[in-house]
Amino acid sequence: MNKKAGPMFYVFLIVFVFLVMFPFLWVLASSVKPVAELFGDRAFIPFTNNMTGENYESVFVNYPFLKYLWNSLVVSTITTVYAVLVASFAAYAIARLNFKGKTVILGLVLSVSMFPQIATISPIYIVLKNLGLTNSYLGLIIPYTTFTLPLSIWLLVTFFRKIPFDLEEAAKMDGASPMQTYWRVILPLAIPGIFTTAILVFISAWNEFLFALTINTDDEFKTVPVGIAMFEGQFTIPWGEVTAATVIVTVPLVIMVLLFQRRIVSGLTSGAVKE
Amino acid sequence: MKPNLMPNNQKQIAPKMKQQAKKKRSDRSLGYMLIAPSMILILIIAIWPVFQSFYYSMFDLRLNNPSKSEAYVSYKVNLQTYLDNYPFLISSLEDEVDQATGKTKSELEAIKTNLEKVDAELKSDKELRSKYDEVDEKLTVMEPISEELAVSDLDKEVALDLEKAVINSSERIRELKSELKNPEDVIGLSSSLKDSVITPNFIGLKHYKENLTDSRMWKAIQNTTVFTVISVFAELVIGLAIALLINKAFFGRGLVRATILIPWAIPTAVSAFMWKYLYDGQNGIVAKAFAEIGLFDQMTDMLTTSTGAMFAVIFADVWKTTPYMALLLLAGLQTIPSSLYEAAAIDGASKWKQFLKITLPLLKSSILVALLFRTLDAFRVFDLIYVLTGGGPANSTETISILAYKVMFAQTNFGEGSALSVIVFICVAIISMIYIKFLGRDLLNDR
Repeated sequence: MNKKAGPMFYVFLIVFVFLVMFPFLWVLASSVKPVAELFGDRAFIPFTNNMTGENYESVFVNYPFLKYLWNSLVVSTITTVYAVLVASFAAYAIARLNFKGKTVILGLVLSVSMFPQIATISPIYIVLKNLGLTNSYLGLIIPYTTFTLPLSIWLLVTFFRKIPFDLEEAAKMDGASPMQTYWRVILPLAIPGIFTTAILVFISAWNEFLFALTINTDDEFKTVPVGIAMFEGQFTIPWGEVTAATVIVTVPLVIMVLLFQRRIVSGLTSGAVKE
Repeated sequence: MKPNLMPNNQKQIAPKMKQQAKKKRSDRSLGYMLIAPSMILILIIAIWPVFQSFYYSMFDLRLNNPSKSEAYVSYKVNLQTYLDNYPFLISSLEDEVDQATGKTKSELEAIKTNLEKVDAELKSDKELRSKYDEVDEKLTVMEPISEELAVSDLDKEVALDLEKAVINSSERIRELKSELKNPEDVIGLSSSLKDSVITPNFIGLKHYKENLTDSRMWKAIQNTTVFTVISVFAELVIGLAIALLINKAFFGRGLVRATILIPWAIPTAVSAFMWKYLYDGQNGIVAKAFAEIGLFDQMTDMLTTSTGAMFAVIFADVWKTTPYMALLLLAGLQTIPSSLYEAAAIDGASKWKQFLKITLPLLKSSILVALLFRTLDAFRVFDLIYVLTGGGPANSTETISILAYKVMFAQTNFGEGSALSVIVFICVAIISMIYIKFLGRDLLNDR
C-alpha cells in the first residue's frame, strides 16, 4: 500500500478501464444510432450525426420490456427478502452458538451452493409443472432458493463472526435471552452485513437464466435476461433494440455498483479471504 | 469443553459446571431450531432434486409421450384414456362391419371380438371393475378425473394381453385402411387406445451406458474441459497481474473498483448478447478488429468456425470474470504485511524472488479458493454459450450443460437428460473434492 503510483501507472489504468468498459461504450453509442447506420460502412463509426431514441422507444412499444423488468423486480425482491430472512437465523446459529455438526452443516451449505443448476432442473421442472406453478412468480422464487439460500448463509456467517463476542457476553450477563440478544444486540450490528448480503443475493437472482428460461416461458412471466436473450426480429436480430435494452438494464446496475462498490467488494471477498 | 469431559470429583465447582452444561444444552437446541428452516429448505429444494435426477435417469422418461411421461415401475392402465377411446372404437368398428363385405367383414369382426375379450378380462378384476365404472360415469357427465383414479395398477399378464390386443388391432386396422368407410376415425381411435397401456419404463443404467459410448457426449465433455481450463487459466494469470499492479495507493481507486464490478454485475445472458453484437460477422466491431490484426481471415470466421467460436466464448468469459478474479486476489494481497517485503528488500531479494517466496505462498489459499469457485462456475457454463453460440457451429461449443438442456427441453427426453445432468454433477463433485484436498479444512473453520 505504500508504493507510489507513477504516471505510467495511470496510463495503464486508463487503458485498463477503457478496455473493460469498451463493450458498454460501443453498445451505448450503437443504441442511439438509427437502424440504417448499424449496418454497412457506417456500422464501424462510433458516432452518428442523426442521434435518435427510436430504439429505446421500440423496446418499450414493440416488446413487453416493462413487463420483463417488473417480473424480474418482483421475483428478485421476494427471493432476496425471504432467503436473507431464513438464512439469518441459520447463520446466527452457526456463527454464534455452540452445537455439534456446525462444520458439517457449513460444508453442506457450501457444497449445495456449488451444485450445477442443470443437475436439479429436471425434478424441479416436473414438480412445478405438476403443481401448475410454471409461468408464475412462485415458480421462480421456489427454485431460486437453491442458490440464494446457501449464498446468504455463507455470507452472513462471515459477517456474524466479525461481531465481537464480548457484546453478547455482556448482554447475557444482564440476563438477556438468546433471542433478545439476537434482536437487540447482534442484529443492529449485523445490518451492514445483511444489507451487503441482500445486494449480492438480489444481483444473483436478477441475473439467473436457466430456471427462468425453462420454467417461465410465457411472455407474461419472463424475466429480463431471458426476455432480452429471446429478442427476435422478423428476419434478423434487432440489434438496435438489443443495444438499447442492454443499456437500459446496465445503467441501473452501474449506479448500484457505484453506490455500493465498497459493500459489494467486502461481500465478494469475505468468504474467500482469511484475515 | 465437551460435557463428557467434566470432572466429577471436583464438587465445589460442580454447580457452575452444571449451569454451563445446561447453557450448552439450551444453546444446542436453539441452534438446531434456528438452522432447521434453512436445512429443510435446502434438503427439499436442492438435495432431493439431485437424487430425483438420478432416479429419473434410470427411466425412459419422455414428457411428450403420455405413456412415458412419468417414472413407472409397474404395469398400469390409464382408464381415462382407455374409456375415452375404447367404446367409440367398438361402435365405429360395428359401423364398419355393417358396410364391409367378405374377408374385410370377418377380419373386422375378429378385431372387435379380440378387443372385447380383453375388455372383459380387464373388468374381471373386482377392484378395477369399480374404478372402470366410476371413470366411465364421470366421463359421461364430463366431470374431471383425478390422476389417482385414472391410472390403475394392472396384473402383468392382463397388461401384456391388453398391450398385445391394442397393438395388434391397431396394426390390422391400418392394413385394412383402403377398405374402410371412415379410415381416419378408426385408425385414430385405435392408435390412441395404445397410449392407455403403461408399461414400466425402468431401464436401469442404460442411459449411462449409451451416453458413455456416445461421441457427442464426449465431445461435449471435451468442449467443457477446454473452455474451463483455458478460461480459468487466463483469468488467473491476467487477474493476478492486474491485482499486483493495482495493489497500491492511487487516485481513483473507487472508480476503478466500480469499473471492475460492472462486467461481473451485468446478467451473463445480457452480456453474451452484447458480445454477439460485437462479434457479428457483418457489423461487429470486435470481429473486425480481430480480423484486421490477422487473428482471423475474415470477420465472419469469428462465429462460424469452430475454433473462432470457442475463442469468442472464452474471450467473452475472460472479459466478464477476470475483474472478479482480480478483486478476490487483490483482497488476498492486501492481507500480506508490507514489512515482509521490506525485510526481503533489505536482504537483497529481487522483485521476482519476493513474488515467488512471499507473495505466492501467502496468496496460495486465496488463489485456490478463487480457482475453485471459478472452475466450478466455468464447468457448468450455460447462459453465455446458450445465448452467444447456442452450442454451434456444428456442436463445437456445446458444453455438457447445454447438451443436457437440449436433450431435456428440445427433445423432451428427461430420462437421458437427467443422466447427463447426473454426469455433470459427478464431474463437479470430483473437481471440488480435488480442490478441497488441496485447501484442507481451512475453508470451513472459523479463523
